[in-house]
Amino acid sequence: MLIFCNINILSLFTGLVSLLVFMLALGAQALTPSHHLSPSDVDRLQAILSQPFTDLKSAYFSIVGLSKLGLSVADANGACSFIKANVDSSSVESLFYAAEASQALASCEIHVSNETRDLLHAAVSEDSTVSQIHQAVSALSSFSLPLASQEVVSALKARISKEDNVLAITLALQTASRLSQQAELGEILEEIEDLAARLDDLGGVYLQFEEGLEATALFVSAAYALSDHVDVEPPLKEDQVIQLVNSIFSKKSWDSLSEIFSVASAAAAFSNNRFHKPVIVSALGPATVSHSQPLLQLQVTDVLCQPLSSADVVVESASSVASKAAILSKTPFTLRDGIFELNFMASKPASGYYQFSVAVKGDSRLVANHVELKVKVSTKVAINNMDLSVVDKDQSIGTKTTRVEYPSKAKASFVADSHQNFAMTFQLVDETTGVELTPHQTFVRLHNQKTGQEVVFVAEPDSKNLYKFELDTAERKTEFDSMSGTYALYLMVGDATLENPVLWNVADLVLKFLEEEAPSTIQSKNLYVPKPEIQHEILFSGVLEINPPLPLFSVQWFKLGANISNFSLSPSSLLFHIGHAAMLGLMYVYWTHLDMFQTLKYLAIIGSLTFLAGNRMLAQKAVKSPLSAHHYAPKVLG
Amino acid sequence: MSSSVISVISRFLEEYRSSTSTRLKVVDAYLLYILLTGALQFLYCLLVGTFPFNSFLSGFISCVGSFILAVCLRIQINPQNKGEFLSISPERAFADFLFAHTVLHLVVINFVG
Repeated sequence: MLIFCNINILSLFTGLVSLLVFMLALGAQALTPSHHLSPSDVDRLQAILSQPFTDLKSAYFSIVGLSKLGLSVADANGACSFIKANVDSSSVESLFYAAEASQALASCEIHVSNETRDLLHAAVSEDSTVSQIHQAVSALSSFSLPLASQEVVSALKARISKEDNVLAITLALQTASRLSQQAELGEILEEIEDLAARLDDLGGVYLQFEEGLEATALFVSAAYALSDHVDVEPPLKEDQVIQLVNSIFSKKSWDSLSEIFSVASAAAAFSNNRFHKPVIVSALGPATVSHSQPLLQLQVTDVLCQPLSSADVVVESASSVASKAAILSKTPFTLRDGIFELNFMASKPASGYYQFSVAVKGDSRLVANHVELKVKVSTKVAINNMDLSVVDKDQSIGTKTTRVEYPSKAKASFVADSHQNFAMTFQLVDETTGVELTPHQTFVRLHNQKTGQEVVFVAEPDSKNLYKFELDTAERKTEFDSMSGTYALYLMVGDATLENPVLWNVADLVLKFLEEEAPSTIQSKNLYVPKPEIQHEILFSGVLEINPPLPLFSVQWFKLGANISNFSLSPSSLLFHIGHAAMLGLMYVYWTHLDMFQTLKYLAIIGSLTFLAGNRMLAQKAVKSPLSAHHYAPKVLG
Repeated sequence: MSSSVISVISRFLEEYRSSTSTRLKVVDAYLLYILLTGALQFLYCLLVGTFPFNSFLSGFISCVGSFILAVCLRIQINPQNKGEFLSISPERAFADFLFAHTVLHLVVINFVG
């Protein structure tokens, strides 16, 4: 018992340790973005942001959003006039939109009166919400009006302690990035770390606030804005940065203009901040090389799909998946038209899969710059030395070997009866290099054109990679259902790494089986025919026929002298018995023809008649019966 | 040991034959018939297989249900139990028996398929 417990504990412990080691090993592998914007997504962002403005708020989102993407509005003058026409000088929010939008436009000056300036200054106080402070400070900054940074800082600190939600703190961070660098922004800077701790880790892939995509994206742009402003690296680990990228760029169709604005801001923040620059490495098309297409092409971009032209892209190592032999080491890619290329076929790799480890260097900010890539090298197969022969089993007659060249067919057909074996040998080689290949699918298919029968066998290579196929006519007769006739013989060769899968009608093979074994017709093995309906009659007749207890029962009843003599022929009694018999008959009819509803309908009619008759009959019986006199009141039913 | 068992059984059968009314004996014969039919159905199912299972269940439950209803009838019409069934005459018991059987057969026929 104790030993048993000990063994259990020991196995549990080793299990836990190995699990821990496994998890550490997994964690050691760097995370790469699984979700990112594609060029079409960026175009769509731009298109939506370029739509005509409906109000000042949408104008703000469009103009500032486009400027973050590095683009400008189509009609700058029109936009400027729109802003001037729609600004409401008595609302801090309206002034904020107008200020930010006009700042983003090339030359758009909005006249600010003293009242407006005072209004904005008044908004900076502990009594305003963080959102109002943010709008006021941003407007003052964009209008190039003087600002008392320290006052703002104290107001923000006071408000943060009161409004402890994610959006408020994000706006506080954004506000702080507009203040003077001399102000004490340290405490506000610490909020980045606190806020980052509130992010939810979803499966190790996503990192986002439960408030949603917009909140996460706004946090990213605010955090990097403030970090750049004070030149302090944000406390985000590499994996966290990638997880944020995954969260923000996983949604490709957005609900509102504000959401699109937040995504554009986050994308701009990830592309242009001083500390972290996520890299997206993907192959152009499928990662396949062959003799016709020897170049491995990679797209190396930032989150906004702009190529990193100044980067050095290097293959740290490339090794074959099957043999683990290293093919390349520290080989650089060359940049051509924004695409990084490498001529992999120049290293003369054998066909198959290769594991590439690619590193992107050149900028210390790069994040997720080590990528693992699986590259396929495909080739064309050639079939050599295809030899067909019919061998006698007792080997008395010498074999006659016929060689067939691909893709032609053997002129004469081969005949094999039950005393002979049919044999086929061939080699599969790489067309260019002549190296022997062993593809995944090497099948020999025999097709009887008359009956449509098809039998497929697998051809196996021997130790020297020479493929052999032998058909023992007598042994294999069950596969053919002993149907003699002419079978067309096909060779099928296929593999993921073959560019030219082969279906080759090599020859015709006449198989002769012993006649008495052949079935008269081919019974197609049709499994999907509906089964015959279960006949009621089978069961019912069984019940009627095989009812051994019934005679016994009848005999017993007669012996006991069943009270048939006392059968009163009163109308109610008769009616009762007829009704009862009718009910039993109805049961039978229900079983064979009717459904429940019809049966219940008939049963109601017959049943009520039987009930009334039976009631009367039994009442009469009760009165007559000697037992009833003293103890039973003649209780009538119903 | 066995002789005492045999003597107990024979004594029991004698008592049964003499002291049980004819009515109850008729019901007992019916009970025996139902029991044998049910046992036979079960044996058939064991030998031949459960397909179609709903038919077997329906038949078997019919036997079991009929047995139970007949036992109830026997209890109710037994003069020795008169004290417990003061308001239920034998005729009423029989009528209840018939009604319950109708419901049982309705369900059984529905299920047998």
